[in-house]
Amino acid sequence: MKSRFFSRRDFLKTASSISMVTALGGGIPSDLFASEGKLVRFPEKTDLILLTSRPPQLETPKHFFKELITPNEALFVRWHIANIPTSVDLRTWRIKVGGNTERPLELSMDDLKGLPKVTYTAVIQCAGNGRSFFNPRVPGGQWGNGAMGNITWGGVRLKDILAKAGVKGDSVEVAFNGLDSGPLPTIPDLVKSLPVDKALEEDIIIAYEMNGKPLTMLNGFPARLVVPGWYASYWMKALSDVTVLSKPLASFWMDPAYRIPANPCACVPPGTKPDKTVPINRMDTRSLIIEPSQGNRLPVGKEATISGLAFSGGYGIKDVVVSVDGGKTWREAKLGKDLGKYSWILWSLPWKPEQKGKYTLMARATNSIGESQPLDSLWNPSGYMLNTIEKVDVIVG
Amino acid sequence: MKKNIVFAMLVSAGVLLLQYQVPIVQAEETGPVHSITLPTIPAELKEGPGKDKVMTLCAICHSPDYIPMQPPLPAKTWDHEVHKMIKTFGAPISDEDAKIISSYLAAQYGADKK
Repeated sequence: MKSRFFSRRDFLKTASSISMVTALGGGIPSDLFASEGKLVRFPEKTDLILLTSRPPQLETPKHFFKELITPNEALFVRWHIANIPTSVDLRTWRIKVGGNTERPLELSMDDLKGLPKVTYTAVIQCAGNGRSFFNPRVPGGQWGNGAMGNITWGGVRLKDILAKAGVKGDSVEVAFNGLDSGPLPTIPDLVKSLPVDKALEEDIIIAYEMNGKPLTMLNGFPARLVVPGWYASYWMKALSDVTVLSKPLASFWMDPAYRIPANPCACVPPGTKPDKTVPINRMDTRSLIIEPSQGNRLPVGKEATISGLAFSGGYGIKDVVVSVDGGKTWREAKLGKDLGKYSWILWSLPWKPEQKGKYTLMARATNSIGESQPLDSLWNPSGYMLNTIEKVDVIVG
Repeated sequence: MKKNIVFAMLVSAGVLLLQYQVPIVQAEETGPVHSITLPTIPAELKEGPGKDKVMTLCAICHSPDYIPMQPPLPAKTWDHEVHKMIKTFGAPISDEDAKIISSYLAAQYGADKK
C-alpha cells in the first residue's frame, strides 16, 4: 500500500560515531530539566509544571523519572484546543466506527470490556518533548523533558474492532477523532489518521486503563488510542470516532501541523525550511540522565551512582553507554528490569570520582536495530524529536 | 508478631508520607458520569500598550500564558503567529487590532529588544 509516511533514520545506526564526541562544541543543553516552572494542581493530577492552563498543558517534574512506571497522577497533560471534555456519561458515550467499512459500529464501554483485553507497558511522549532545548529556539509548547511517561496500558486491539466493522479493500487511512473541540467553529478539529496498514498492526489498542485504573479525564477518559512506538500526537484522547478512509485525511493536524523534514535525519540546517515534509511518526531513541543533576556537588573518593532511563520507538534498548569525561571514554551502564520493547528501561552506573574538578556526564542509548542518538542537535522548524546526547556537568570536591 | 506491627507502622507511615508527597485532587465521581472541574489559573502578562487587546482577543481561544511561555521571538515571528491565529484558526481580530497585538508581543516578548 502506498503511504505518505515513512520512517525516519537509518541515520546514526552505528556506534562508531562515538569517537566524534570529543570534537563537539557547544549547542547541547547542559541540563535538560533545568527550567522547572510554576507547579499547579489539576483534577486527578498531582503538582505538575504549568505550561498553559487553557487548554491544559502540564509537564511531569523530573523526580518521577526515577521510577519505571509513571504514576497516573504524574503523567503529563497536553490538549490542543480549548473545549476539552470535563464530564463523560458512560451510559451515552460511544465510539462510532464507520466510513469505508462493511458495517458501522457503536461501541460502549461494556462492549470494549467484552472484547479480549491486551495489556503492555509503553512510553507515551509528546512530539515536542524537549522543544525548549532547541537552538535556535522555536515557537510552540516550551516543554522541558517532562512530556513523557511510561504507563501500563490496558485495552482492546484496534484491529479486532476494525475486523468487526469490515475494512473495505480500497481503504488507505483510518482517522481518529476525540471529544475535544475548538472554542470557535473555525478552529480545525483535532483529527489524526494512520495509514491503514499501520492501523491494523497487532499492538495498537484502544486503551481504557492506565496502570490498572480508568484513564484520568485529562489523559483521555474514557478511552484513548495507544500507538506504541509512535509519538503521542496519534494517541487520540477521549476517542469518539474511528473512520476508515478511501482517501488520505485532509486535516490541519496532519498537514501542515505535525510534519517533519522528509529526509533520514528529519532535520534541516538551523533556521531553514524543509522542501518536503512527511507526518511525524515513530519515536527516535533517547537516554536521559536523571541523577545526578546539573551542577550537583559530589564528594571525592566516594561511590556515587549515575542513573537514568532510556527508550526507543518500539525496538527496546540494547545498551546505554555513559561517559564521565565529556565523551572521551565510555562505559556500559547496567540495565534494569525489561518490561518490553515499548517500555523505557532504567539504567545505572556506579562511579567513584577520585579527583576534584568539573566532570561532564553523558549517556547514549542504542536500540535493538542500531538506532542511537546524535552528538549534536538535529534541528527542525517545529522543534520535534529532540534526542541529542545529554550533557550534565557536576562538581567533585 | 512484633515484626508485623512494626511493618504495619512502617507501611502506614509510608502511606502517609506518600499521601503527603503526592496529593491529588480527586475527581467528582457519581456512578457512570465522570466529571472534573478545571481550575482557573490567572496568567500574568507584562504591562504595555495593547495588553488589553491580548487579554480579550487572544483569550477567546487560549489562556494568555501561551505568550510568556515562548522564547523571545523576532517581531516577524510574532506577527506570523498572530496571522496564523487569524487565518488558520479564524480568530476574530481586525487588521488594526492585529497590528496592536503584534506590536505588543514584539515590544514585551520580542528577541529584537532587551
